[in-house]
Amino acid sequence: MISTNSTGEPALRIENLDKYYGTFHALRGINLSVKRGEKIVVCGPSGSGKSTMIRCINRLEQHNGGRIVVLGTELNDDVGNIDEIRREVGMVFQHFNLFPHMTVLENCVISSMIVRKQPRAQAEATARRYLEKVRIPEQALKYPSQLSGGQQQRVAIARALCMQPQIMLFDEPTSALDPEMVSEVLDVMVTLASEGMTMICVTHEMGFARRVADRVLFMDGGEILEEAPPDEFFTSSATSAPDNSCRRCWAIDWKQRSECVTPHAFRHLHD
Amino acid sequence: MEMVLVAPPAPGRLEDLKRRFFATPLQAVVSLACLTIMVFLVWKLLNWAVFSAVFTTSGGPEACQAAAGACWSVIAARWRIIFFGLYPYEEQWRSALACVAVVVMTVLSCIPAFWTGRRIALVWGAGTGLFYVLMKGGVLGLAHVGEEAWGGLALTLFIFVTTCLIGFPLAICLALLRRSELPWISRTTGLIIDGVRSLPLISILFTFAVVLPFALPQWLQGDKLYRVILGSALFFSAYQAEIVRGGMQGVATGQEEAAMALGMRYWQRISRILLPQAMRNAMPATINQFVISFKETSLVVIVGFFEILASGNAAYGTGEWRFAYVEVYAFIAFIYFIFVFSLSRYGAFLERRMSVSER
Repeated sequence: MISTNSTGEPALRIENLDKYYGTFHALRGINLSVKRGEKIVVCGPSGSGKSTMIRCINRLEQHNGGRIVVLGTELNDDVGNIDEIRREVGMVFQHFNLFPHMTVLENCVISSMIVRKQPRAQAEATARRYLEKVRIPEQALKYPSQLSGGQQQRVAIARALCMQPQIMLFDEPTSALDPEMVSEVLDVMVTLASEGMTMICVTHEMGFARRVADRVLFMDGGEILEEAPPDEFFTSSATSAPDNSCRRCWAIDWKQRSECVTPHAFRHLHD
Repeated sequence: MEMVLVAPPAPGRLEDLKRRFFATPLQAVVSLACLTIMVFLVWKLLNWAVFSAVFTTSGGPEACQAAAGACWSVIAARWRIIFFGLYPYEEQWRSALACVAVVVMTVLSCIPAFWTGRRIALVWGAGTGLFYVLMKGGVLGLAHVGEEAWGGLALTLFIFVTTCLIGFPLAICLALLRRSELPWISRTTGLIIDGVRSLPLISILFTFAVVLPFALPQWLQGDKLYRVILGSALFFSAYQAEIVRGGMQGVATGQEEAAMALGMRYWQRISRILLPQAMRNAMPATINQFVISFKETSLVVIVGFFEILASGNAAYGTGEWRFAYVEVYAFIAFIYFIFVFSLSRYGAFLERRMSVSER
């Protein structure tokens, strides 16, 4: 059973993680430890392994080497462990992945009911509470296709929260949204962060990173090249890989862009 | 020439007809010619089928043959053979009730309110059980009637319904196995599906009915009817499996990932997330397959079963009604039409209903 007390054990510990797609070395010796309640933002150019890394955490991808320990349970071939971890780790996807054949409410209650075996009344009460929290309680009986992108992503967040997870993973949650909808999703994520949720977000929203993150990771080529609190991250002038000018430009570019906006105005930042 | 600046008012129905069919003299001539031919054909058909037709058996076959129109008396005289085949005359009410049971069962299971595991199982269990007891007898004071005496509409319905009932779950299993991550499972399944699909149905029916008994031990053979149904279900499932697989390919991979991320197990993902969406995608092709299977039941005549079409042959084939085969076939076509057309309309209803959530 996954322990729920915080006895010094980090929420997530990754040691020497390796991942291959065929012969392509997607993740190279990743090391990462995330404390309970910590917020991590992962950024980097596309193809750098950000998504692959967080998809390994709930075993949507199988890793080939190293260890991943989530909430004290090691991810291995034991299916029981995987199911247990997935119950405690919520995930929000770039393309929402809501179930189109179910209403918003059904989307939110189904996993509580069939995975957690909760009675419908209880599951619906929880679902309505979280829909309230993401500010769309009035859409409960609509189908996903009747909602805007921003609303769908907020439903996806509510759906993940209904399982009452201890860790939330966000895989580019605002990348598929129209610019004017980015802020409504980020607002919800900020609220969630302020309530002490352990969060790992892959995102390009540097304003969000500045405001919320405890640490920002910069990844490229399957490695974590830089790891620093946002203040430090955005003020240091170079990455720890000065040998590669491209990487360096990319990182500096991101940092400069984020400097153009003040943190309180982050919600109007979109790229 | 003047430019038209305002949109013309919407034409009335008469104007619309005029514009479409009588715009030029040549078009008018062609339209009139077609209309004349159509009226003539419809008149001929109605005259044959209704106005000059004989409906009663009072005059016997001779009076009927002399009439200019259709001889529906053959149906009045022989409908029992068409509907019940060789089923014993005094027991034919049982066969009729059995048909009603199957139709009621099918209609009930088409109503969305019955789409829960327990209800559908109850409806199908009760329906097929009732059909079997009524047809076979041997209990509750009903005389025993062997499967070899079953026939007509009851047999057609029974073969169709059991073929689908066995074939559909089998098709889903095959489709799931075919997308297995283990290559030896998916390849073997692919081989089975392609193998069955490349054989004609007739040869499969013949093999199951006639050849299989040589290969199987006595206790495993069962009645010829059930072997034929198994063969037909296997054939059905091979085609339907590919239809289901096509439907599954239309479901975004993110759907299963989302279900996994929520902690759902394999069967929960399949039954709650994948299959409902896949079946929705596969609906038009599935209805098509059902329609084809309904009509293919007539092939069981090759292994000696008198389903409705073969019973129809028997109905006019006994001497005095020999001349009235057109009427018998027209009547059987009408029965097929009722079933297949309802099936198609039901498919259209399902598609409308499902499209609500996918707008």
